Amino acid sequence: MKQRDTSSRNRLTHLAVAPVMGLLVCGAAAAAPVKIGVLETLSGPQASSGQAYRTAVRYAIDQINAAGGWNGESVQLLEYDNQGGPAGAADKLKAAAADGVHMVVQGASSAIGGQITEDVRKHNLRNPGREIVYINVGAEALELTGEKCNFHHFRFSGDAQLRTKALVNAMKQAGALGTRVYSINQNYSWGQDMERAIADNAAAGGYQVVEKTLHDVNKVQDFAPYVVKIAATKADSVLTGNWSNDLLLLMKASKSAGLKVRFGTVFLDQPGNLANAGDLAIGHFVVHTFNAEAGGAEGERFVNEYKARTGHAPAFIEPQTVFGMAMVADALKRTPAEGGKLNVNAFAKALETAKVTSPMGQMSMRAADHQVQMPMVVSTVAKDARYKADETDMGFKPVKRFTATEASIPAQSNCAMKRPG
Amino acid sequence: MDQFLVSLMNGVVYGLLLFMVSAGLTLIFGMMGVLNFAHASFYMLGAYFAYTLQGAIGFWAAIVVSPVLVGLVGVGVERFFLRRVHQYGHAHELLLTFGLSFIVAESIKLFFGNYPVDYRIPAALDVSAFTIGGAQYPVYRLLMGGIAIAMFVVIYVLLTRTRVGIVVRSAIHKPRMAEALGHNVPLVFMGVFGVGAALAGLAGAVAGAFYTTNPNMALELGVMVFVVVVVGGLGSLGGAMLASLLIGVVTSLAVGIDRSLADLLALVGVGDWAQGVGGLMTLKISSLSATIPFALMLLILLVRPGGLMGEKG
Repeated sequence: MKQRDTSSRNRLTHLAVAPVMGLLVCGAAAAAPVKIGVLETLSGPQASSGQAYRTAVRYAIDQINAAGGWNGESVQLLEYDNQGGPAGAADKLKAAAADGVHMVVQGASSAIGGQITEDVRKHNLRNPGREIVYINVGAEALELTGEKCNFHHFRFSGDAQLRTKALVNAMKQAGALGTRVYSINQNYSWGQDMERAIADNAAAGGYQVVEKTLHDVNKVQDFAPYVVKIAATKADSVLTGNWSNDLLLLMKASKSAGLKVRFGTVFLDQPGNLANAGDLAIGHFVVHTFNAEAGGAEGERFVNEYKARTGHAPAFIEPQTVFGMAMVADALKRTPAEGGKLNVNAFAKALETAKVTSPMGQMSMRAADHQVQMPMVVSTVAKDARYKADETDMGFKPVKRFTATEASIPAQSNCAMKRPG
Repeated sequence: MDQFLVSLMNGVVYGLLLFMVSAGLTLIFGMMGVLNFAHASFYMLGAYFAYTLQGAIGFWAAIVVSPVLVGLVGVGVERFFLRRVHQYGHAHELLLTFGLSFIVAESIKLFFGNYPVDYRIPAALDVSAFTIGGAQYPVYRLLMGGIAIAMFVVIYVLLTRTRVGIVVRSAIHKPRMAEALGHNVPLVFMGVFGVGAALAGLAGAVAGAFYTTNPNMALELGVMVFVVVVVGGLGSLGGAMLASLLIGVVTSLAVGIDRSLADLLALVGVGDWAQGVGGLMTLKISSLSATIPFALMLLILLVRPGGLMGEKG
């Protein structure tokens, strides 16, 4: 139904615009703009991350349009609220397909990402000529570039193995890792990936995993019992993929028990964390995709520009989303219009060879499994960081940078990608 | 042994916190038959009010004033919303409070943003009370437990030993008779609702600083509070206390148990088979600790639907 609505609306627009078009003697009468759908969690308890992704995508699309859009037309941004779950995502993906989007962008939650990649694969099998590309800017479960890998899925963020490798390497070099590591993670695909990655990196990091814990996701209010467990193992450091409240509560509980451990985290840079944790965050580590201080002059330029447009400095998952969308822009530029329209498969092929230089350095797409090869940086929370976070007197001070090649891990062997034609 | 002792204390204190929130809920239900879905929202309001006030009037004053404000909000809700829909039955009251919980959550996001706010315990209280088994035990946890116990004693004495308590209890059991004897039952209802909300607000003001104050805190605790009330018996204060402690201690101790069904079966010699089956068999109890209260609720509903100390079962 929606499809019909749109086309009739288009016809009306064409009627109205026709005389003008005639005057301009413009050949692109049948031109269709590129439509990008953001399929994020825009309402409910997890809306904060979804809204951050949306802000970053909007910023990136504004930039594409400021540079002339695609084929002389502005790229359109459509928003769909997946309401925080795979069921809502499946539903809204259908709506997006009916609206004729060429790509969907999503990042928060691997569970939702798993649903979208499967649905996109099926949609593309059934609707040749009307394919959709899934731009994954943050769902980091390994299976998305492993056994579930799919020609129309591209990931523009890290995964558990990639992040842990960099984190362990940097913490070891800074002498902050110790030899006894406690692994605590959330019990779902991402947390389980992290637990495996922490065990896999034991030899490289020269540590022993003294204990592994998986706990329910965002259900635990009181982490004191877990801290008792950590204390009993006499661990030097705790590695965790926890995010949001599960990370904050864990760190607060260990502080109040006077536990002297170093935390190695993936999501400590989530807005609000430093403000809420206060001084107890100092000295702990985070592995992320962007650090303005490490980015130098380019980093500063990006921060200022982003701030001017959105009202806040890019943090958490926003930088990686902007960089990912820059690669999309690069591929769009290299995809010529076919009869005024975007050939999605041709675009996907161009995206496989996309290369851009972000403020952090060179990044490129790996065609084998559609995992981006991007620089990573490990930072520690310190008062002498150049850029302060959350309006506190603390910020993230870079400890070690990794180029895309240094950070890279080999493609998973179980990815058997089927390419069209 | 030390570890067991610390786990036990942690469990008791967490249980006491659960009691602080659920006491109001169970009182309101016992009195008015209203299952108040917005109850955990009062808990959240308490934390945010205290956060807003602490800058101006200090931490301790904020902890005192914030519950009063939340109580006033509760009184307003009862007087201007619940009372109007009361005549249409419980379903309408339930829907009203359900809607209210959304309105509170969204308003909080509107005013304070999506992320946790900077509400922390003051530095003077951020010290350890004693050291046990290599780990320090924070003073603030003891304080939270102390406040909860004091609250229980005060409510209990108020309800069983004073004139006000007699009126309230009679209004619970036979509202029409109490009204016929000249007591203003709607006023009593309003008072109980306000006090219930204030208790949740107090819990929020105290716990918000220790845990995190964020727009999801109502959601996170809300479900557990309902479990407590169902397990303890709707309307029973003693039951709420018992259930809170039970749930707190069980979840805390379960974290330390790294055993699975397969280990149990290994005792009778079929451990290898169970390991092979995997799935539920190899799931460690520790990874289920947050789920155990729900299993407990299911069990209670099957065996003793009225709850542990429920009167109206």
